[in-house]
Amino acid sequence: MKTSVVFSAFLSLLSLASAATTSSDRKTYPSTFRPPQVFKNANLVHIISLEKNYVKESINVLVENIDKSPQNEYYVPFTADQLSRLGGVEVKDRKDGSVGPFVAEAVELDQSDTHYIRIRLPKALAPGAQQALGITYYLLKAYAPRPASIKQEDQQHLAYAFSAYAPSAYATSKQKTDVKFPSSTIAEYTKLPGSGDVARFPQQQGSKLTYGPFDEKPAGASQPVAVRYEFNKPVTHVSRLERDVEVSHWGGNVAFEERYTLHHRGANLSALFNRVKWQQSQYYQPNTWALKELKFPLRAGSADAYYTDVIGNVSTSRFRSGKREALLEVRPRYPVFGGWKYPFTIGWNSDAKSYLRKTPAGGFVLNVPFLEGPRQAEGVEYEQVQVRVILPEGARNVKFHTTIPTQSIASADVEIHRTFLDTIGRTALIIQARNLVDELRDRELLVSYDYPLSASLRKPLVVFASAMAVFFAAWVVGRVELKFDVAGKK
Amino acid sequence: MSAADPLQVLASAGKGESTRSVLRVIILALIAGAAISSRLFSVIRFESIIHEFDPWFNFRATKYLVANGFYNFWDWFDDRTWHPLGRVTGGTLYPGLMVTSGVIYHALRALTIPVDIRNICVLLAPGFSGLTAIAAYLLTNEMTPSPSAGLLAALFMGIAPGYISRSVAGSYDNEAIAIFLLVFTFYLWIKALKQGSMLWGALCALFYGYMVASWGGYAFITCLLPLHSFVLICMGRYSTRLYVAYTTWYALGTLASMQIPFVGFLPVKTSEHMPALGIFGFLQLLAFLDYVRSAIPSRQFQTFLWLFAGTAFGVGLLGLVVATSMGFIAPWSGRFYSLWDTGYAKIHIPIIASVSEHQPTAWPAFFFDLQMLVWLFPVGVYLLFQELADEHVFIVVYALFGSYFAGVMVRLMLTLTPVVCVAAAIAVSHLLDIYLNAKSPENPDAAADKDADGKKGGKAGLKSTNKPLVGIYAGWVKSVIVSSFAIYLLLFVMHCTWVTSNAYSSPSVVLASRLPDGSQHIIDDYREAYQWLRQNTREDAKIMSWWDYGYQIGGMADRPTLVDNNTWNNTHIATVGKAMASSEERSYPIMRQHEVDYVLVVFGGLLGYSGDDINKFLWMVRIAEGIWPDEVKERDFFTARGEYRVDGDATETMKNSVMYKTSYYNYQNLFPPGQAVDRMRGVRLPEVGPQLTHLEEAFTSENWIIRIYKVKDLDNLGRDHASAVAFDKGVKKKKPAKKKGPRVLRVE
Repeated sequence: MKTSVVFSAFLSLLSLASAATTSSDRKTYPSTFRPPQVFKNANLVHIISLEKNYVKESINVLVENIDKSPQNEYYVPFTADQLSRLGGVEVKDRKDGSVGPFVAEAVELDQSDTHYIRIRLPKALAPGAQQALGITYYLLKAYAPRPASIKQEDQQHLAYAFSAYAPSAYATSKQKTDVKFPSSTIAEYTKLPGSGDVARFPQQQGSKLTYGPFDEKPAGASQPVAVRYEFNKPVTHVSRLERDVEVSHWGGNVAFEERYTLHHRGANLSALFNRVKWQQSQYYQPNTWALKELKFPLRAGSADAYYTDVIGNVSTSRFRSGKREALLEVRPRYPVFGGWKYPFTIGWNSDAKSYLRKTPAGGFVLNVPFLEGPRQAEGVEYEQVQVRVILPEGARNVKFHTTIPTQSIASADVEIHRTFLDTIGRTALIIQARNLVDELRDRELLVSYDYPLSASLRKPLVVFASAMAVFFAAWVVGRVELKFDVAGKK
Repeated sequence: MSAADPLQVLASAGKGESTRSVLRVIILALIAGAAISSRLFSVIRFESIIHEFDPWFNFRATKYLVANGFYNFWDWFDDRTWHPLGRVTGGTLYPGLMVTSGVIYHALRALTIPVDIRNICVLLAPGFSGLTAIAAYLLTNEMTPSPSAGLLAALFMGIAPGYISRSVAGSYDNEAIAIFLLVFTFYLWIKALKQGSMLWGALCALFYGYMVASWGGYAFITCLLPLHSFVLICMGRYSTRLYVAYTTWYALGTLASMQIPFVGFLPVKTSEHMPALGIFGFLQLLAFLDYVRSAIPSRQFQTFLWLFAGTAFGVGLLGLVVATSMGFIAPWSGRFYSLWDTGYAKIHIPIIASVSEHQPTAWPAFFFDLQMLVWLFPVGVYLLFQELADEHVFIVVYALFGSYFAGVMVRLMLTLTPVVCVAAAIAVSHLLDIYLNAKSPENPDAAADKDADGKKGGKAGLKSTNKPLVGIYAGWVKSVIVSSFAIYLLLFVMHCTWVTSNAYSSPSVVLASRLPDGSQHIIDDYREAYQWLRQNTREDAKIMSWWDYGYQIGGMADRPTLVDNNTWNNTHIATVGKAMASSEERSYPIMRQHEVDYVLVVFGGLLGYSGDDINKFLWMVRIAEGIWPDEVKERDFFTARGEYRVDGDATETMKNSVMYKTSYYNYQNLFPPGQAVDRMRGVRLPEVGPQLTHLEEAFTSENWIIRIYKVKDLDNLGRDHASAVAFDKGVKKKKPAKKKGPRVLRVE
């Protein structure tokens, strides 16, 4: 009962995002474009989290309008390289949680290394007024392993370079940068002269480094620093994930298939792979930076899981189906070290009841997770994600809504997909997303569509009619007399 | 069993022709279903996977055909095999199998059924085995009027292990479709011969062409049909039917076969095809004589005949000899000689002898593959001898030749199986027709005969066919015979199932073992290593391995190989054998010349896996010795006592060979010091393992079955690799032993 209410509430949202139109349209501005200096960052806390194998940054900033007129566009600068690796930008109001995520869109400058993310405040900020913004985003492919190649039994270290001053298009009165590490073993970091009552930056507290607080800095100020720290876990990078969700009304089934192109971006092996050492380290020192296992938590009720790669089934997998959660544990055919690649495919079936609802208006709403990758302690990053929702043949009026940050959605189209005995082909919603991380794995994708009864009867009728046609043709052919000699007929 | 049930049903229910034909269709469909499903053991146990070695090439070729279209496939030059030579694949394969799969694939696609090409390839052989069963039914029906014989033949054909061995799911080899084509071509031939029909002859030629496109074994048909005709002529059974059937088949069939690039002009050039041509000419002569006989008086005809026949034979023979010696006609090929002299290949062509399926058949193999059909087979042939119409002569000839060839080469058991099934089905159906007849014969003076018949029925019921008045009267005799045959048939089914399940359903790419708790554990080392190669080496990294693994590397790892299972170039294979058998210093130049990046060896020592390279090593040595007798000597690999050893007592040549080193490198470190054991050969290995200088270990699979080594690049400092390795290890450079001058005190 309750869910149907929630669904109908979502329907109002759905009407906004029709799948036929691409959701994010990027604008290109001339290279001379500079954000108008209408804001000031009264206070800024920049938190860089290096705990996973991607970088999660959050900028909590108190923005003050120093202009004379109300303003509603706030810009955050990024380099072109960063922008290509940037994903999942979300901006929230720090004070008021009920205000939904603000619209954040890329503003690309023509022939310039600096680009901007423009944040539209839903309510223009009056002169002198302040607004607390929480900006979070992810940077993929952010690290470099240092040393770049190590021995099989060595520990892996990663290096990350950033600016101790938060990148900002506005002057900042006060700021500090926190860097969180996966462990307290930080091999090297850039030291800066301190200011105020702190003798030198950064200060270390357990697995955290703090640069700052710094005093007034002008717009665009930058202080490059670098850190190198131990990260003895795989740097798993999925360069492309193709996720198919196929809905069958007749079978009451939703079939999932995911094709991963997985890379390890960590340190390469300086000597080639040695099986003896590997087998010994399995006993003595199981902690390694090679990727040994991936765990896919699936929804309860998932069944028929499979795990294959380009040359067939991979036998090293286990599937446990429990009441609360089904768990698919897969091991790559070989341990994946830095620089190695391992593409594979997994798939499973689910009961349509837990994903599909009929709306009072007669349409259908499908609610599936946008992303269901592995849940790894060290995280997984996805460079390109293609989600393809294959609806039944004859489904119309497809609309979708997703809670994935809109900045990461590159395009959405409705196409025709022909498969098992289709005549007009199935309606397929194809959403391209980029730069996602596994923290977004519980975000929803809602798809609404109409599916009239006549469309559902099409296939049985077509199959029946063609079978009848074949029988009739066989009967006709059987009646044809080929012999010259009619008298000899029995 | 399945023959008995319908008969009872028939007796009670329908006597009408249409009921019978419906039943027959249903039974045939069930037999085809049984034939297909009994071949699916490996799919159910493991997965839908291509088996063994050769099928991987066929699969790869099929994928190429599907991806690039027929004409590109026809012109396919494959530069990823036989590096650096390449292979004109389109012109050196039998395309029938791939084209069949491609057609099925596109037909299903047109019906918008998205079936993976792999699944089509895996299931092609079982599918065609269902068709083979039906073809056997048709062929048998031409032999005997008994309706049950055909059904029994179909059943036997469907589940006989001799055929299953080459047609389980995943065994995507030429034989998969060729046996169907073989049987069906024979059926059409019989049909054409019986009716003297050009239409059937043309159909026969059509399927013969398909057969030629599919399998090198087509020569069996090419020789058997002329032989049959020749026997018929010798028996004085020349007829216009034979003339029409044979000439139609030969003319059209030869033209059709010449369309295949791999066959080309062989039908008019090689000795294997000469009997067919000879009989074709002979038939023309006979037809001419036939005409002459009708035109001139018989006395003159006698003289004319002798003169004419003698001249024609002499000229023909002379022509053949001259053409052979001038080189117009190729002499018999080596593989053909080994059919007559089983020791030929071992002496002259070790590469043929090294293939296990080219070995002579061991006698238990006949029982293993045919079980009770072995003893039913002569009975059936004997029964056919009793009637001996033209078509029965065919079966007799086929039986003789099939038996001979099956005894010579293991794989030719396959061509014997159809005729065994047909003959055995005729024998069984004959018996059942007599003993299953519930009614006693209506004979007024039965009392006198009764005893004699009872005896006869028990001992030699077959003879009763000759005397229609003789019958079986005692019910218990009938029931004993019928029930004992039912038991035989049941045992046969059980045997077939057992053989299929245990002997012929292993993909050999994947090995299965049992864990202590009884659950199945899959040993997947081959694919682990191949996948590693595929993903983590350069796209054009050349892999050197023994030729057995060439097709698999091409298919699964998608990397160029030096040699593969095509074995067309003995010298190239010998080169690889030499590189494996020589020391590192001597094989390094060979590997550099062939741009080898990785060396792949199969090692079964850890797991006790018998099909490894150390066990095949002597063949490599022999083949290499065949080309370079001065550089590789088989004797050097045996100890002074003539033993082939791999432990501490192995010869120096053995220990220094690349194969030995790559197999055992680093293996000792897996064990406590001095405890390293080769579980395959059951020997303890020396404490200090081999050291590599020109190669380095790149990958070893989980159970050590596949070991991959990288061939080092030239040393940066221009040293030779041995001294470079010694330097890296910190070994002091050995001063030359014969140093001139007095010893000097070392000052440091």
